Amino acid sequence: MTERRITSRLLWNYLHDLSALAGSALLLLFITAALAAPWITPQNPYDLTTLSLEHFLTPPVWMEGGTWPFLLGTDDQGRDILSTIIYGCRTSLIVGFSVVFISGTLGVLIGLLAGFYGRWLDIATMRLADTVFSFSTTLLAFLLLGIFKHGGIPVVILAICIADWVRYARTMRGSVLEVKQEAYILAARAAGAGNLRIMLRHILPNSLTPIFVVVAVDLAVVIMLEATLSFLGVGVPLTEPSLGMMIAIGKNYIYAGMWWMILFPGITLVLLVVGINLFADWLREELNPKIERKG
Amino acid sequence: MLTYITRRFLQGIAVLLAVSMICFFIFQFMGDPVVRMAGLYATFEEQAEVRRVFGLDRPIHERYVRFVWNALQGNFGKSYVSRVPALNLILERFPATFELAVCALCIAFTSGLGLGVLVSLKPYALRNRFIMALSLGGISLPTFLTGILLIMIFSVFWNILPSFGRGDAVQLGFWRTGLLTQDGLKHLILPSLTLASYQLAVLLRLTRAGMREVLTQEYIKTAWAKGLPPRIVVLKHALRNVMIPVVTITGLQFGELLAFSIVTETIYQWPGMGNLLLTSIYENDQPVIVTYIMLAAAIIITLNMVVDILYALLNPKIRYD
Amino acid sequence: MKKTLSILLAMAVLLLAGQVWAQSSIVVAQDDSPRMMNPHGDDSDAGLQYFANFFDGLLQRKGPDGVLAPALAVKWERQDALNWKFWLRKGVTFHNGNPFTAEDVKFTFERLSNPEVSEFVNAGKSIDSITIHDDYTLTIKTKEPIPWFINNLHQTFIMDKEDTTARDPGDVMVRPMGTGAYKFVEWVKGSYVKMEANENYWEGAPPIKNVEIRPITESSTRFAALVSGQVGMLTGVPVELYDQIKKNNQLEIVSRPARRSIFLALANTPGTPMADMRVRQAIYMAINEDEIIEKVMRGQASPAAQIPDQPTIGYVADLKRLPYNPDKAKQLLKEAGYEKGFAITLSGPNDRYIQDAKIIEAVAKYLAKIGITVTLDAKPKSIFFPEVNQGKLAFYLIGWFDGTFDMGRTYAKLAHSRDKERGFGELNGAGYSDSAIDGLIESTAVMLDAKAREKALQDLNKMAMVDKIIWIPLHYQMDVYAVRKDSKLAFQPRPDRWMVYKELSLK
Repeated sequence: MTERRITSRLLWNYLHDLSALAGSALLLLFITAALAAPWITPQNPYDLTTLSLEHFLTPPVWMEGGTWPFLLGTDDQGRDILSTIIYGCRTSLIVGFSVVFISGTLGVLIGLLAGFYGRWLDIATMRLADTVFSFSTTLLAFLLLGIFKHGGIPVVILAICIADWVRYARTMRGSVLEVKQEAYILAARAAGAGNLRIMLRHILPNSLTPIFVVVAVDLAVVIMLEATLSFLGVGVPLTEPSLGMMIAIGKNYIYAGMWWMILFPGITLVLLVVGINLFADWLREELNPKIERKG
Repeated sequence: MLTYITRRFLQGIAVLLAVSMICFFIFQFMGDPVVRMAGLYATFEEQAEVRRVFGLDRPIHERYVRFVWNALQGNFGKSYVSRVPALNLILERFPATFELAVCALCIAFTSGLGLGVLVSLKPYALRNRFIMALSLGGISLPTFLTGILLIMIFSVFWNILPSFGRGDAVQLGFWRTGLLTQDGLKHLILPSLTLASYQLAVLLRLTRAGMREVLTQEYIKTAWAKGLPPRIVVLKHALRNVMIPVVTITGLQFGELLAFSIVTETIYQWPGMGNLLLTSIYENDQPVIVTYIMLAAAIIITLNMVVDILYALLNPKIRYD
Repeated sequence: MKKTLSILLAMAVLLLAGQVWAQSSIVVAQDDSPRMMNPHGDDSDAGLQYFANFFDGLLQRKGPDGVLAPALAVKWERQDALNWKFWLRKGVTFHNGNPFTAEDVKFTFERLSNPEVSEFVNAGKSIDSITIHDDYTLTIKTKEPIPWFINNLHQTFIMDKEDTTARDPGDVMVRPMGTGAYKFVEWVKGSYVKMEANENYWEGAPPIKNVEIRPITESSTRFAALVSGQVGMLTGVPVELYDQIKKNNQLEIVSRPARRSIFLALANTPGTPMADMRVRQAIYMAINEDEIIEKVMRGQASPAAQIPDQPTIGYVADLKRLPYNPDKAKQLLKEAGYEKGFAITLSGPNDRYIQDAKIIEAVAKYLAKIGITVTLDAKPKSIFFPEVNQGKLAFYLIGWFDGTFDMGRTYAKLAHSRDKERGFGELNGAGYSDSAIDGLIESTAVMLDAKAREKALQDLNKMAMVDKIIWIPLHYQMDVYAVRKDSKLAFQPRPDRWMVYKELSLK
């Protein structure tokens, strides 16, 4: 099978898989909303000059006391919930994609080098990776942020990256070890290709397939993690929008009957993660050669 | 085998040293604990004295060496906030966390494995698709949201289950257990479900994937062909092979469980180690933070070692050398 | 069947027993958890209120006004600028049966200066010597004249010398033993503190026999515990649930104005905008305090025009807030040459005062409207207070009340220029400095005549609030408690917010 045919089969399968389509549609919707946030939101909830306490704790428009333009109501600082959610998604996605990109690149490089060169490099990096892995991304990121405290979004990204690269490194290393044994690699080596050339031209592209699944799964995990950290008060600072923080604020109001402050950000977060996971599930099935697909 | 264990043990010690060193390094950038310890009305001079008494005026490397030396003798320093040994403070909270974690683990493991097998037998049945959809929800709902959701349903809306604390607990020697009273068990339901939900979904999906892979293998086909009853084929032949990775992952993911127990304990005000850690982080109680981290690291490293060794014993194909 | 019956029977017996127990017992959800049970190790009111039940001071503060009253000392006298003589109460015993004598008092005051067990190092170091005349009289000599020395003695709790020195120091930290109205029963960290009445208490046995305190820091959880009947009352009603509790006819709200005022501190470093009085006035006038009280505090606060509250020495009755007037504020900025505004960072704790972070968010909004760009910097108190102590901040929110009911100490600590050698201005986090203010503060410290001193403190207060605008006062908090009506609890809140259970009774 040529590469083009694989790609087109993948595309065909994708277009005929309902959950994959639904998942990516959801994700796309959130990305579009996040990118267009300044133009589609009635209010920039973090621009202090336009905010006012006047409209605090307004319920959603369809309820008694609700007013436009606060479609989903406001919170206790008079921030429009819908606008805050959209800006919060923006933070989630920025953190999610940055972490996946940075720790992915780092992890792939480390995995590639460890798998390719082996010996002490392999032992050292994999021992480190094992340790970090067994500490769990969540625990490590939590401890790092707990110690650094109020840093801002870049610090959150950095802390999660420190804990997260191992996923990629471990997967990549395993994949490289398999690919290394393939006939075409041995052939290339026999033809006199240098290490760098073999590594970049032959091994890297051929061992990336399992990484795609990790990317998709990891995006969901990181977005949940950022929300969790912000919920606990060690993530994104108070002055930045975040779904986790909105839920933490809303939680104080659940007994007060002001459910809109927690329900809408909660649903948004779950939908965002479900969307990514649906897509990730499809990708995993598609790229896993070990499972026979029906039909 | 013995050399392997020794090597892992030495590596563990190295990790602990590295972890504590990083902690000490980072502590320099945290707030100054002396201000709180000297009292609100202390003068600068009195603050300096407190600094001296607690050895906080010494250079960081000297303090670190002293910490390691004391830690080797089982002394992890005194909490700045409550002025008692940090280790005791944490160990006092250990039973609560342990009971919660073990309960959650049991729920996640049995249900995850059971449902995973069930789903893998008839992947396209409606009921199983529904279970899979739920498991998708399970891995997409962050623990804190699950907790809030359960509280809203069972405590706020229906008001049938308690939403905080441990209830009546019984002291058995040094161990304080909530498992022996009805009230204690009632208090355990929501937190353990919350903590279990994510792991349950992960294990379910792992089991299903493993089963689907195994069920296509030759020896299973042979077993079917031999006319063995489905119970034997599924449980004895297929599941046994799936168990190994599932057990391994469960063991290796203990850190994850510990992390989510922090979240769960915070939401339910569960008087465990995680709750203590979060308070200590807010209050900048450095000795407690570093002791917690060391303890968590030690537990995780030991567990990993045990899992590795068990793995080697179960699976004679693997040799460590 | 038999088994079910016996279980039912057992439960009925338990239920009955529970009711009998309940008649003289209360369960209270408190918003602060104790850090330790060593009465000198925690100088915050959150901690002191626990100790006050197990221990007594030489003096105590009683009732809704916090009047100073005799406790372990029956009489006291200031003999000169430095010497204070005390006559102790006879026939008082500690919970272990040991008699209370002058030796215990001496031991206690000397223990204060040991930083390993005490957060009252400052109080301990201010004492020069303690002379015991006989078992029941002694004299305490301070190093410097301290006008408010006596006002603070209700929070120095007397420990038994023999018991404290004999026990393991770790045990002393967790198991309190004093002369107080309640004996310690059990403390399960993170869950509850239990205590029982001291039937031999010198003031008479307290009416409530068993008290269980559940520290629940999470506000909505505390509310849930009250509504479900697991606790009979709670302290620290969260503002967001105030209406909810008021609507519930099983619950009753008890509130009183808190002594603590919340205010903004500003630097006056020469060359910065805030060194200009017009800018300080502009900031003051830009803040709509009424709206903060209504929307952020949900009405649970009253506006403040100064830092001390009414019973504090130094309070000036006729001080008024500058009116809210954003247009005037803009004009003042223009006059000062900041028509385009300027940028500044506003700091504050986010886990210390009621709605603290929300208040600074609101303030930032008001300032944005007159052109001042505010960067918000809200952080946990464990980071915030060390920064105040280091004088790192230019503009921040802080709250204060002085347990001595005397403004002198507060001013020396918060308003005097930072001075390491002489021990002034440790909590002057903005590094505010003004020689006239410094001079007044220093002169009041040595005044022995109470009348003259009060006048001087009032002049100081007026100068600070009107002529200099050292701080921008916002509001006095309100202490709000909720009680279940079926608990039949008679409760009157104290000005210092302590929960002293001997003052409670059942209707």
